[in-house]
Amino acid sequence: MTCHDALAHLSDYLDRTLDAGTRAAVDIHLQSCDSCKALATDLDRIRTTAHTLGPITPPAHVWHNINSQLRREHRRADMWQWMGLAAALLLVTAGVYMVAQPDPASPLVTADSNASAPPTVETVEDTLRRAEAEYERAIAMLEKVVQDGNQDVSPETLATLQRNVTTIDSAIAESRAALTDNPASQPARTSLFDALRNKVNLLQSTVVLMNEMRQGDAGGAAEAAAGLGNKTS
Amino acid sequence: MSSSNPLNAPTAPHADMALAERCRSGAPGAFEELYRLHSPRLFGLACRMVGRTDAEDLLQEIFLTAHRKLGLYKGDSSLGTWLFRLGTNLCLDFLRSRANRSAQVTDSYDAEGSTMPVGGRGPILGVVDRLDLERAVAELPDGCREVFVLYDVEGFEHREVGAMLGISDGTSKSQLHKARLRLRDYLSASQGGSR
Repeated sequence: MTCHDALAHLSDYLDRTLDAGTRAAVDIHLQSCDSCKALATDLDRIRTTAHTLGPITPPAHVWHNINSQLRREHRRADMWQWMGLAAALLLVTAGVYMVAQPDPASPLVTADSNASAPPTVETVEDTLRRAEAEYERAIAMLEKVVQDGNQDVSPETLATLQRNVTTIDSAIAESRAALTDNPASQPARTSLFDALRNKVNLLQSTVVLMNEMRQGDAGGAAEAAAGLGNKTS
Repeated sequence: MSSSNPLNAPTAPHADMALAERCRSGAPGAFEELYRLHSPRLFGLACRMVGRTDAEDLLQEIFLTAHRKLGLYKGDSSLGTWLFRLGTNLCLDFLRSRANRSAQVTDSYDAEGSTMPVGGRGPILGVVDRLDLERAVAELPDGCREVFVLYDVEGFEHREVGAMLGISDGTSKSQLHKARLRLRDYLSASQGGSR
């Protein structure tokens, strides 16, 4: 075997991936050629040292950058979710005020009073039913978010939340009972929608609290937790 | 060589699936735990593949991509293996993109003929210092460096290196050999050609 042949096989020789015959031929050449033997020694030192090149701890700011970027993405996703929900509730609330509380002094009603007929009983009932369904849908969605993330909330806060939900649910049940007895009762309708709105507000505040706790924002979490105690009025 | 690469790691243990699930559900601290566990290895890979200057940005991109794609992790391999594949692919994409940006017209794979051994009766290198080797690796052409890092540092087999880089096993072997020869030249120069 010549030096040229030996060189062509040297890396495979060092990696022990040569067949036995070729390996033996390289062995014989290295025993008789100091130059190739020196090269083999050098290359072996390089590959042996390469095996010891280990992990490198990244600087701390890399994680901070990643964490900040994830928070921004999280907030953006939350914002779109809430914007959709808020838009739906805004439309529902506007509809409710238009048909359920027709104030003759209202410029809106006055301006339209000659242009269109007043809403019929059926229109009012239908709008209220749709509004209530919309609130129920929002509440169901928020309850699921709260339920999925309730491990992030402290037991004390969870107890406060539960207490407030129970109070609001009682108010909802009372209003519904009053509406069953007297479907045309304006105070009962107002009371029902107030209670539904309170429940949406309470659950929204809870979701905000959970997000603040996930993101490690102690100040924001404390503020949101304090707000939970004031959502039943 | 005996493979010590992460592709041959055992399939995902229960802890990996549990951590992935906690990350997916946004459990507090879960993604940071994943980062602490796996970032040193991935940062080492990134530093050697693309250089320290770009490695921090690339590590950030690796973990942001991982965060978005964690839903695709099914536990067919360990989480470390899954992340390492992702990281390797992003390193290679980065190198291709950088080569395109610099309008590199030559193939990144070293096409020079084999270097014949420098004359002399004994080894020209003393003990190879790891920092010197890291610096020398950074001097290699992209193609040689990719193969050297994946084979000699990370412990992949030539067929695995070939599959990752889209080259044949034979090309992987020849690039490795050229990388080692070039490193010997760089290191002997840095050691003053003594010994």
